[in-house]
Amino acid sequence: MFLALKEIKHEKLRYGLIILMMFLISYLIFMLAGLALGLAEENTQAITSWDAKSVVMNKTSNISLMQSILTKDDLKNAKVGKNEAYLGEIPVVAKAKGHKSISAQFLGIKKSQFIYKDQELLAGHLAKKKNEVTADEAFQIKGYKLGDKIKLGNSKKKYTIVGFVKNAKINIAPIIYGRLATWKELHPGIPNLVASGIISKNANYKYNYKNAKTYGIKTVINKLPGYTAQNLTFEMMIGFLFIISLIIIAVFLYILTMQKMHNFAVMRAQGIPSKTLVAATIGQSIILVVTGVVLSLIAMFLTNLAMPKSVPMDLSPAIIIAGCAGMLLMGIIGSLIPIRSILKVDPANAIGE
Amino acid sequence: MTVIELKDVKKTYGKGSAQVEALKDINFKADKGEVVLIMGPSGAGKSTFLTIAGSLRQPTSGSVMINGQDISNYSAKQRNNLRLNEVGFVLQAYNLVPYLTVHEQFVLVDKVKKQNNLSKADLQKLFEDLGIGNLLKKYPNELSGGQQQRGAIARALYANPAILLADEPTASLDSQNIEEVGKLFKKLAKERDKAILLVTHDPRLKQFADHIYEMMDGQMTQEK
Repeated sequence: MFLALKEIKHEKLRYGLIILMMFLISYLIFMLAGLALGLAEENTQAITSWDAKSVVMNKTSNISLMQSILTKDDLKNAKVGKNEAYLGEIPVVAKAKGHKSISAQFLGIKKSQFIYKDQELLAGHLAKKKNEVTADEAFQIKGYKLGDKIKLGNSKKKYTIVGFVKNAKINIAPIIYGRLATWKELHPGIPNLVASGIISKNANYKYNYKNAKTYGIKTVINKLPGYTAQNLTFEMMIGFLFIISLIIIAVFLYILTMQKMHNFAVMRAQGIPSKTLVAATIGQSIILVVTGVVLSLIAMFLTNLAMPKSVPMDLSPAIIIAGCAGMLLMGIIGSLIPIRSILKVDPANAIGE
Repeated sequence: MTVIELKDVKKTYGKGSAQVEALKDINFKADKGEVVLIMGPSGAGKSTFLTIAGSLRQPTSGSVMINGQDISNYSAKQRNNLRLNEVGFVLQAYNLVPYLTVHEQFVLVDKVKKQNNLSKADLQKLFEDLGIGNLLKKYPNELSGGQQQRGAIARALYANPAILLADEPTASLDSQNIEEVGKLFKKLAKERDKAILLVTHDPRLKQFADHIYEMMDGQMTQEK
């Protein structure tokens, strides 16, 4: 570390620029990863908050709660215990006087079941009356207030927002929780409706009868519209970014090492062991990467503070640890590439033979 | 006492018709306390001699004895150890690590060689002899050619080697400094009991030498 630190201290501009490059790469990685995770999280937020493990849906719905409709006939033999809850889902446009329209998902639920009870209130209270609803915090962020009366789509009825809840987004859209009866009213002309599906906290819950079929939660999440494609896109971007980072870091370290070959030859002629030079090279790249990553984390933290709440950004410890470990690994691999050249340096070159 | 001796040393490069014989049956020796000059024109084999004598390369045939040990078949690691402990180099340029201050050059030696380096008092005396005591916080690029050369000599002697090899030590010096460096080598050889081998073009160093060897086309002859 002695040689590594002394060289960085002496060549401030050169190593400052390399640290800047490491900073920009890791900042970009954290930004993309944070946004990817934020978006993914907004897709599945509500499902995660319900702790759902399996879902019963109409087998012709293409595993989409929005498309699924289950009738009394389909659910004739269904056993709904304390770990199960009926859920009716329908996309709506919510509108209140003086506020902009918001595309949302109306979820009809039963007061006696866990989805209703598990709502995480931020303000107000849970809906108790027929015309009351609770809404995701996105409504509050967009200026909606407790007591605002909203219309859902073409329905002429108005519903009062009595509470704002968190972790209530599905497929990125904010949720409005209301009565299952209201969900039925939003499907006029369809007889014997019960729900879109049954949500169960039990991974082994099975109910397959007539049009009803049980799916595992992973299958349901992966079939959320756009979810898999969006995650794959981000994963590819981050993956390629890591590969490009590795190449850039390796090229920089290789050029740096090549520029120092004469110094290495002189030191080898003076009897400085190769392992000292190898350790200095690896140590130096670790210092550069760690400094760049720490600076990018600080910048990321400040960016997160300045970012509007509507931007989905999730900087979980897992993402931070994975990003740091990835960058460090890239740095170490990059520094290993010129090691062979260091080991093969001919001390006789110091003589200028 | 003989510190370094080369017996019938040959060094060839390349193979077949491209083979070049850089050193031909070299016989050479130097004792403690002596300044030995190796002179000759470019291409005579001086640098090749230096790489063999300094254990940077192995001879094709013949033997190289340092402190009575035959090092001809030493492994790269053994030769590295030998250079660290027994051989000091003063090279033409870039002899000092550019991003270390003069003082830090000695710290680096301490990091890799924990024993038998000069004591603090001895090092201080060496700085005084070399006149570089006030330059310890300077980087090599802040020093003149002569100051760099003296810093490099101090660096080479700090590890307390038996032999000091200098490659064109006066190449970047003016006449006055050449005289000073010549006297300095003479003084260091006598006072510190070192064998000092100077590879040079410069005839002005002859007056400080105990022995002079002339090299021509890979062959070495001793001047009477």
